[in-house]
Amino acid sequence: MAGIDVGGHGGKRSTNHEIPLIPFIDFLLCLVAFLLVTAVWSQMARNNADARVPGPPKDTPPDDIKKEKQLHVEMKGDRKFQLVWKEGTTVVNTIDVPRKKLNVGESGDFKYPDLAEKITTEWKANGSHRAASDPKFDQCTLHTDNSTPFQDVIAVIDAIYTPERDFTFAGQTEKMPAFNVTFAVN
Amino acid sequence: MSGQKPLSRFHQPIAVPGRRLLHHIRPEFVRKKVVGGGGRSVNQEIPLIPFIDFLLCIVLFLLASFSASGELPIDKNVQLPNAENVLDMLDAPMVAITGTQILVDGAPAGNTRAIIDGNRLTRVDELFNILKSKRELHKQINPGKPFPGVVVLQVDRRVQALVVKSVFQTAAFAGYPNVSFMVGRMGGG
Repeated sequence: MAGIDVGGHGGKRSTNHEIPLIPFIDFLLCLVAFLLVTAVWSQMARNNADARVPGPPKDTPPDDIKKEKQLHVEMKGDRKFQLVWKEGTTVVNTIDVPRKKLNVGESGDFKYPDLAEKITTEWKANGSHRAASDPKFDQCTLHTDNSTPFQDVIAVIDAIYTPERDFTFAGQTEKMPAFNVTFAVN
Repeated sequence: MSGQKPLSRFHQPIAVPGRRLLHHIRPEFVRKKVVGGGGRSVNQEIPLIPFIDFLLCIVLFLLASFSASGELPIDKNVQLPNAENVLDMLDAPMVAITGTQILVDGAPAGNTRAIIDGNRLTRVDELFNILKSKRELHKQINPGKPFPGVVVLQVDRRVQALVVKSVFQTAAFAGYPNVSFMVGRMGGG
């Protein structure tokens, strides 16, 4: 047993006290067991989307509003995706991508590797915001049918998030998805 | 040397030298212990102090990573989709969409039936009011600080895109334009 000797003598009450180690160890083991049982081993993550809501109005309107290329992903057909680059309302380019589903694991997950590859190629060729110091991101608008299952939507958003770029914020550079995703209202 | 039995050492005029050290100790079991006795002791002691240090380290680590609220899905019926290119979770109001119910941080906030029956983008008034009141509360608690406007949607993988878009739009109208979809990490990595 561990003890603390403070050198007491005489008829007074003993000043040597022993820490009861065995109950202490029992208590620690109980605490460890409780914390292990209640620990949350989370595998959760998130995919971001932006509603593209305008900010508060400014007193002076901006002089020059530059129209940027935006990528629109149409997932309305069963056989193909359509990638459309638009500048404002003007269609710049349209690319068809076959809708090939790749099943992953046995839990019913799937992804669209062809779409991911094509979007990456397109962003490298046409993306406007590729510098690490650029605070803005390229915009991608997703067009879906109302009846599309959410799992399908997430698989397409996952493909849109495949291209990554460096982003420097507060002196630190990290990899971020190259596109900002929003939904088309239809 | 002629076939007779040799005398014991106590009867010999000159004794054969033998072990003498610590042989005067009385209790036999103590004497055996101190003299040695040859065999290695079968009693092993657990080094308690390093063991307690180890336990304390584990306790401290687990306490530091302990989360009282957790990140488990609000509704056990929600089957989240999985994705590969994901971001880490953040702390924000949680809107769960199950087959028919919409919940905000576990409290009911509307029904998806009306959206599906209408077959068009619909603002969910109950959800709108709850999110708006949360936003007002955040502004009162943190005066002067910018409102992040982040909400996390926990959507079942079978829910129709129309419902997701309606909730997305309602959240944006209520002042939450940054919407995140909660997903699992594909492959568990």
